[in-house]
Amino acid sequence: MKFDPSIPEDGINVSRTHPLREALLLVGGVAAIAIAVAVAAAVAVDLVAPHIPIELEVRLFSGWFDRGVEADEAVDPREQSLAKLLGRMAGHWPENPYAFEIAIWDIPEPNAVALPGGVIAVTDGLLENVESENELAFVLGHELGHFRNRDHLRGLGRGIAFSLLLVAVGVGGSSSAVELASLAGQFAQRGFDRDQEIEADRFGLALLAAEYGHVSGAEAFFEHLPELGGPLDGELASYYSTHPLNADRIQALRGMAHEMGWELRGERQPLLSLSPAR
Amino acid sequence: MVELGVRLGIPLALLVLAYFTGAAVERRHYASIRERELRWRSVPAITFRSVPPSWKVTECTLITGSVVISVDYFKRFLAGLRAIFGGRIKAYESLLDRARREALMRLKQKAVERGYHAIVNVRLETCRMANARNSESIAGLEVLAFGTAVKLRNAP
Repeated sequence: MKFDPSIPEDGINVSRTHPLREALLLVGGVAAIAIAVAVAAAVAVDLVAPHIPIELEVRLFSGWFDRGVEADEAVDPREQSLAKLLGRMAGHWPENPYAFEIAIWDIPEPNAVALPGGVIAVTDGLLENVESENELAFVLGHELGHFRNRDHLRGLGRGIAFSLLLVAVGVGGSSSAVELASLAGQFAQRGFDRDQEIEADRFGLALLAAEYGHVSGAEAFFEHLPELGGPLDGELASYYSTHPLNADRIQALRGMAHEMGWELRGERQPLLSLSPAR
Repeated sequence: MVELGVRLGIPLALLVLAYFTGAAVERRHYASIRERELRWRSVPAITFRSVPPSWKVTECTLITGSVVISVDYFKRFLAGLRAIFGGRIKAYESLLDRARREALMRLKQKAVERGYHAIVNVRLETCRMANARNSESIAGLEVLAFGTAVKLRNAP
């Protein structure tokens, strides 16, 4: 028996695919699937959310977001004036099925949120930065618009659907795959959020016009917000923020007002009893 | 935006870095493996359980050669994505190929340095080393080559 000392050629045990090609293929695949699933989930949620009965929503979420005021706890006086203003705005939405509640959150960033069960949360930061009743009325009208379109449920549903997607990816892959899928999915769902904001703006503007006879204050609100949140610039920033860029939004508001024949100028009402409670 | 930059930027920078360092390390390792494969090619390392009848063995001993090799961040990233779709984990093929060949070369080198002429009954074992923090991911792997080195009166 003879020993063959030759060395075999390299190759059969190692694939010749370039690692970068492999990376591109895999990253593209994960991103494409995540986007497709995120969009499918968002569309499915959009179809289902409007059909969830309000009674069921209220029953499911009662006590989740309202602050459950203790009997001996002093009620923030701002809450009462906000509730009054909210009542006036909701009065222009006759088919409103909710019994709304106001919550004031001790958060410095100006923001307002529509929460399942009929709770509208407003931050301290927002209350300190509005300059007229009209601006606040527009914010509340905007949140009422979210309730009318059941956006608060959609946001929640999309979040849940998306978490399930991430769990599914996490079971099969590494944390980097989860991160990748989460980025791609978030990116895909931004568009849905933006459309909702525009629609809620439209509703808020209609309520504002019905209440005051003009829509002054809506623009003003956004005009002095950029200094607060820190400016975001460029295309990516616009797509990346949940809410459309303030400048874009002002533009859209003007368009809507023009379209509906609502007056952009008008006398604004001063704020009553909304100075910080402390 | 800052948060996005951190979430996206740091892993991306690590990936790019790992790709280039990983590729350079692999290229150099392969060059060294080929050079030694040429140098030791006349030393038979065979898988027979016994020596061929024509060999006159004067001495024998157990001999081992092993290597511990690490997975780089880029390869681990690719393998993680591959785990979703299934299929050949191409990123790990070259890693294991290098480890097996390196272990064999160390086996041969050790045998030659100790004056042995050949190695019979060569076996390869692979052992994965799990990360302590997260046992799902691999920190690296060991390939152990072992066999019986023999000294021959009539060396080939």
